[in-house]
Amino acid sequence: MNKTVKAQSNINFKKLISKPEFSSLLILIIMFVITAILQTNFFEIKSIIRNINAFAPLILLSMGQAVVIISGGLDLSAGAALSLFTCVLTTIMKKNDPTTGIYALLITIVVALLVGVINGIGIGYLRIPPVIVTFATSYIWLGISLFLRPTPGGEAVDWFKAFYDVGAVKGMPEFIKAIGGVIPPALVLVLIGCAFWFVISKTRTGRHIYAVGGNSDSAYASGINTAKIQMIACIINSIFILLAALFFVGQNQSGDARMGDPMTLKAIAAAVVGGVALAGGRGSVYFGLVGALILSFVNKIIFFANIPNAYQTLVGGVIVIVAIAGSQAYTLYNKRAMLKESK
Amino acid sequence: MNNLMSIQNGALQNVYEKYKKFIIAFLLIIFLFILGEITVSNFFSLAQILLTIKLAAFIALFGLCQMVVIAAGDGGLDLSVGYTATMTAVLTASIMDGMNENLWKAILVALGIGLVVGVINGVLSAYVKLPPLIVTLAMSNILQGAINVYTAGKNITGKPSPVLTLIAAKSTGIFPNILFILAIVTVVVMIILYKTKWGLMLFGVGSNETTAYLSGVNVKLVRCIAFIISGVLSSLIGLLLIGNMGIAFKDMGSNYVMPSIAAVVVGGVSMAGGDGNYLGVILGSIFLQTLTNLLVALGWGDAGKWTGFGTVLFILLIVYVSNRRSR
Amino acid sequence: MIILEATGIKKRFGGVIALSNGNLKCQKGKITGLLGANGSGKSTISKIITGVYSADAGEIKYEGRIVKYKNPNEARKDGIAMVFQNLSLVADLTVWQNIVLGAEEKNGLFLNDESAKELSKEIIDQLLPSLDINKKVYELNPGEMQIVEIAKAISNRPKLLILDEPTAALEQEQVKSLFNYMRKLAAEGVAMIFTSHRMWEVMEICDDVTIFRNGMDVATMDFSKECKDPEKIISYISGDTKKAKVEKSRKVLTDETVLSIKDLNYGKYLKNISFELRKGEILGIGGLAGQGQNELMLALAGNYHGVRCIAEVKGKRVKLNKPANAIRNNILLVPGDRQQEGLFLKHSVYTNMIFPKMALKHQPLFIPRKKYREECEQIIKTLSIKTHSIDTIVNTLSGGNQQKVVVGKWLSFDTNVLLLADPAKGVDIGAKRDLYDYIVRQVREKNMSVILYASDNEELIEYCDRILIMYEGQIVATLEGDDINEDTIVAASMRVRDFGGEHVG
Repeated sequence: MNKTVKAQSNINFKKLISKPEFSSLLILIIMFVITAILQTNFFEIKSIIRNINAFAPLILLSMGQAVVIISGGLDLSAGAALSLFTCVLTTIMKKNDPTTGIYALLITIVVALLVGVINGIGIGYLRIPPVIVTFATSYIWLGISLFLRPTPGGEAVDWFKAFYDVGAVKGMPEFIKAIGGVIPPALVLVLIGCAFWFVISKTRTGRHIYAVGGNSDSAYASGINTAKIQMIACIINSIFILLAALFFVGQNQSGDARMGDPMTLKAIAAAVVGGVALAGGRGSVYFGLVGALILSFVNKIIFFANIPNAYQTLVGGVIVIVAIAGSQAYTLYNKRAMLKESK
Repeated sequence: MNNLMSIQNGALQNVYEKYKKFIIAFLLIIFLFILGEITVSNFFSLAQILLTIKLAAFIALFGLCQMVVIAAGDGGLDLSVGYTATMTAVLTASIMDGMNENLWKAILVALGIGLVVGVINGVLSAYVKLPPLIVTLAMSNILQGAINVYTAGKNITGKPSPVLTLIAAKSTGIFPNILFILAIVTVVVMIILYKTKWGLMLFGVGSNETTAYLSGVNVKLVRCIAFIISGVLSSLIGLLLIGNMGIAFKDMGSNYVMPSIAAVVVGGVSMAGGDGNYLGVILGSIFLQTLTNLLVALGWGDAGKWTGFGTVLFILLIVYVSNRRSR
Repeated sequence: MIILEATGIKKRFGGVIALSNGNLKCQKGKITGLLGANGSGKSTISKIITGVYSADAGEIKYEGRIVKYKNPNEARKDGIAMVFQNLSLVADLTVWQNIVLGAEEKNGLFLNDESAKELSKEIIDQLLPSLDINKKVYELNPGEMQIVEIAKAISNRPKLLILDEPTAALEQEQVKSLFNYMRKLAAEGVAMIFTSHRMWEVMEICDDVTIFRNGMDVATMDFSKECKDPEKIISYISGDTKKAKVEKSRKVLTDETVLSIKDLNYGKYLKNISFELRKGEILGIGGLAGQGQNELMLALAGNYHGVRCIAEVKGKRVKLNKPANAIRNNILLVPGDRQQEGLFLKHSVYTNMIFPKMALKHQPLFIPRKKYREECEQIIKTLSIKTHSIDTIVNTLSGGNQQKVVVGKWLSFDTNVLLLADPAKGVDIGAKRDLYDYIVRQVREKNMSVILYASDNEELIEYCDRILIMYEGQIVATLEGDDINEDTIVAASMRVRDFGGEHVG
């Protein structure tokens, strides 16, 4: 009896290790430790908040991207959509009229939904390869952004700064400022994103997102409306991107048509590093967060290793390739190991 | 008797199918010119047309790179063409330094860069089986980063060899010289694709990789070579770019990436692979350049250009690529 | 009480008639068996009942009303469920998640995972108690996956359950559990249609049996009234007429061995296959569908990189790890799925025909257009390919002519071994005759050697000198000379009689 129990726990342990999530957690811990060592004031509150602020946008984008990838798609227009949302917000808002902030918010929500719907129709209903269709839509978002903001600029109402730093808003009650000093709005936005996904993941739609990405023919044979599910995944991604846009506008009070460009690839890489399979159907959205953290820490490490600024883009690109190649190789290795075992 | 009739009708339909996309592309161009003539005067003049075709030539050349990679199938695309060209332009600018003597060195460097980029793209896409889009996008970032490193803090010095300027920027009479290059390239490409075994192998691999494999073709090698060709070609185009502009700068090539892909789609070349009518790509390039000119003439600038490109591409994807058949 | 009645069902696919007159009756609480050879129509009629295909003619009455389902979902809502062979599972989800997929119960807004797990456990416990419902489907072996498919169909509480070869992937124990569950369902009034190629299973579980042959039902045996006689059933399946074997003008069979295969193994698909092919011989591969015949043909053509075997062509060792190697040794394949594996659908007849030459070592860079076009025209004449011109796009041709193109592309090659993977499937009679005429001529005149896999036993009988019967990836019987007839092939395929292969269970 004891032997079988031990054998079973051995197998369980092996299964645990072979999951991509396990290795990404391990890598995260390693990166965390290295960064903590290199950055002397790592554990000071101010620097923690600064880090959270720096990491939050990528975290949000990669979580949204994870949802789309799990559903069997891919969104190359994520960065451009982010830029678009910042441009829409800062074009509608007028600095001196607080109510324009509310209009801007409502209209941008509608824009975000439209972005998700258009991508969703292309991927889900028209079944154009996601890579190509989101490539096309990324230019549509870029063009509209340039219409609104040919050069970076625009305005934001004062209370919008609350999305970045609660203390910067005039007339904010003291106790909220105090809370904001400890729990930065960026963290709140990430938590909102997590809560949002948490709710969805417990519904039928959440389960179906995995089913459609895993095997859309099987999902269809089971009566699931695969096109609708893929569109919903695109819309969810849009919401995550919107949260990131709120943060950026809160921070900079300006919109920029090209600010999101470098983030698309990073978001995809972060999701993959976090264990989301590009083929779809597998992975955890929360681990998109883990992947984003890993990439962010790696960036910090490069910064602290005193690699000149100029090299950072270069190294960034190399890291992406290594990360994705590594994940792919890891998945292939696991698949082969499993095939061998099952024989 | 009925069989024969239906076979004949089938043949007629084949002809129609083949040229339908050409006709559409051509009609679209005419449509744009008419639109342009109505809204902006002097749009439809010989000088304008030649200028349009000259600018379109660069798109078409990049489009060739895309077409080769796309023809090999499996969702191949090369997003690194822009920065490969830029990299070559930036590195060779000081080598050439405005003289013809060092042109051969510049060409060697260009070939080297193209080979390295192409091999990396090809191996990662065809052998390691990473999605080509992500590989080439990351490669594009790496090249951009490398260019940043190289030009950190200093201006890019150097000028193209006069030969290059002659080919790329100048005209013979009213004909821009680049068009001769385009014509030569077109002839060479069409011959290789349609008259040699390489072209046939490429089309087979893109059309049905299982059938190609079972017929003894090394599918992975063919796909890898497609990326190498794209890399080398885009690198050489970099020489033409600097010849045209007179100097090299960091964003020289990046604006060509999207149009190069769009030109392939507009030209009716199948995104699934197996197809490669370069004339279609040229027509597509002319269409896109005409569209750009029209939008600029209307004062809609960059914003209009990208929105227009994106929308046109999206619509054509719906028409040509979408898979609406119910299961 | 009759719950389903199908009358006069007709169905054709292109030029091939799958059903000319299909009739079937099912009763509540009774298990009806469907038997028949490959292509007899038994699978087609099941798929028509559940809405995967639509009938060209005929009527289906379900619970007294006429029904015509457009897809399996409609049938499912009406209470008719079909268990497919691994068509509706998502590998990355768990067993219980798959069982309730598409029909998950909700607790307000959220999924009711508790009830889903309970339901799954309840069903699985009766089918395969050792199966952990929390395992992901990709961790399961094929037998377990099949059980999950069955559980999924049952979870909808159907009134009519169709099981199409559900036992193909199951082991003995699992089959026993399945049967117990089926008896329980029958007691609850569920009607079932059950197909299997294992005779003992049909005899054990079915209350009655309907036998299909050549697109129509030819006999129904009610086991409550008649006794279960396997030989009688076999004769229904194969047809009473023992066709006198057409005396083919015997060609001189040389003793020269053209191809020798020893211990061919490939994963779980092919096990320990060994045989020799003599020059001028037509060796047939038979057996029920899906026993590895197609995989064998692909393996011999070098398609599987990981295949292990000792192969010799005319005495010379050959590595069958890539198609180029096979082709260079003149082992040429006409693949089983011509559209997916044998043709470039969007290209012309000419392009398809000359393509394999491109991979040859001595192929000139510039394609000798004139020479090849003439060759192509010649081949069209030789095989009587009906096409407007050699530039016609292949996907406009009929199935038979497409198949001729697939064969035609090898005509200009010297052939040591021609591998034919079900060449006449979906091909009209005229084209079929043309193809086989040509092949037989080549064998007689040039001593070409052929390995022929045919799903239609008639073809095996008419053309083959020797037939190897495959079952679950192995060769289980060898039939030669007078032993070659419909009865023996069917019996060997269903492992009823022993023909010098593995011991029959």
